[in-house]
Order: sequence, then C-alpha cells, then structure tokens
Amino acid sequence: MFTDLKILHTASLLARHSVQRHSLVAENIANADTPGYKAKDLEPFAEAFAKSERAQMDARASGFAQQAFHAQKIETGGIASPDGNTVSLEDQMTRSTASVRDHETALTVYSKALAMMRATLGNRG
Amino acid sequence: MNPFEKITAAATSGMRAQAQRLQVVSENIANVDTHGYKRKQVTFENVYDRSKDVSRVEIGRQFLDPKEGERIFDPSHPLADETGYVVMSNVNMMTEFADAREATRSYDAGLEVFRQARDMYTSLLDILKS
Repeated sequence: MFTDLKILHTASLLARHSVQRHSLVAENIANADTPGYKAKDLEPFAEAFAKSERAQMDARASGFAQQAFHAQKIETGGIASPDGNTVSLEDQMTRSTASVRDHETALTVYSKALAMMRATLGNRG
Repeated sequence: MNPFEKITAAATSGMRAQAQRLQVVSENIANVDTHGYKRKQVTFENVYDRSKDVSRVEIGRQFLDPKEGERIFDPSHPLADETGYVVMSNVNMMTEFADAREATRSYDAGLEVFRQARDMYTSLLDILKS
C-alpha cells in the first residue's frame, strides 16, 4: 500500500540502485590487479529512471503490463594499464563515495516522508 | 540476494588476495640473501560466483621469476662453483617494496568499501528502528 506513494517508491528505487552500484565498485576494487579486467558501473539513476517512466507511460497507453525499473551495466572505459586492466582506484573511490551519498539521500527522503505521514496521523504511528 | 552480501563477498575476496600477495612479497624479501633463490610471483584471476551473482578475485597459479641472479666472484665461499662465482638471489628490494605498497593500497581500498557498505546497512536498519 505504501509503495504506491510515489515518493517512497522513488526513494527505495534510488536506495536499491546505489547499493547495486556500490557492489559493482566493490567488484572493481577486488579486481584492481586482475589482467584484462574491465571496470563496470551502472547507468546513472536519472537516465534509468526516465527510461522506466517513459516505458510505464507507453505501457499505460497501450494497455500492456508495466516494465520494472532496471539499470543497465556499463563499462566505464578509461585508460587501460599494460595488462589490459581499466580499474583506477581513485576513480572507484569517487564512485563509491557518490553511491554512498545517493544511498544516504534516498534514506533521508524516505524517513522524512514517513515522518510527514506520522505528523498527519497525529504522531501516534 | 541481498546486495550488501555481494559487496562483502567481493571486498573480502579482494582483501584476501592482496594479503596473500603481501605474504609472497614478504617471503621474497626474507630470502633476499638466499643463494640461488628465485622470486615468487602471483597472478590474479577473475572468478564469477554464480550462487551470489558476483565476480570475485582469486589468486591463480604462482610462478617463479626465471631471471638469473647476480653472480659474485668469491672463491672462498662454500657455495662457489669451480670458477669461483656464487649465484645470488634474483630478488630486487625496490621491486618488492613497490609491490608491497601496491598491495597495501588495494587492501585499504577494499577495506574502505567494506566500511562504507557497513555504514549504509546501519543507516538502512536505523529506518527500521525509528
């Protein structure tokens, strides 16, 4: 019932997206010295979200089932070391910090929305 | 599958691999004065864990550096050959220390990701508690 509320739904999508992104960063850092390994990342949340919104609108128009939110895995590219590895630790630390910040944002929005609902219910929930 | 477990699995495998690499480096440094010692090298392999849907890292085959050690003229040495030369180890301290520093750096990065994941999980649980 509460996932029908748009703000809670979006916040939980962002939280899930940022954790998935963080797990890709963990894989990249683990493979920082594996020859031939290509660094991976998720497509940015804004793009994936816009795509799923458009798909849902199309689905509503045509009457077909809704498509779930899904972010594609992409290769980050960048300069490869002589062994073909494209992981840069500095770049990965930036990405991990960004995903932690996104997660924090999503959780804050989520808990604030809950607090607002509690306030409307007379602070008994 | 809980994505936090994926983070933990990947970060832990990375830290374990780097620790093993550091162990091999310390073996090489310990044997820098062993005559005829060949330095050991490790390889990293990317392993896809199907049960957890995560790509981890593992230490692959270890091999010896085939380079010849330095030959020093010392006829009085018990290990000297008939021409009076002794073969030293092929360990270069500078290379080993650079390798050790790189391993430490990668280990720290893995540890930092682990900490971040833990903090994220804690703040997720805080919503549940509030």
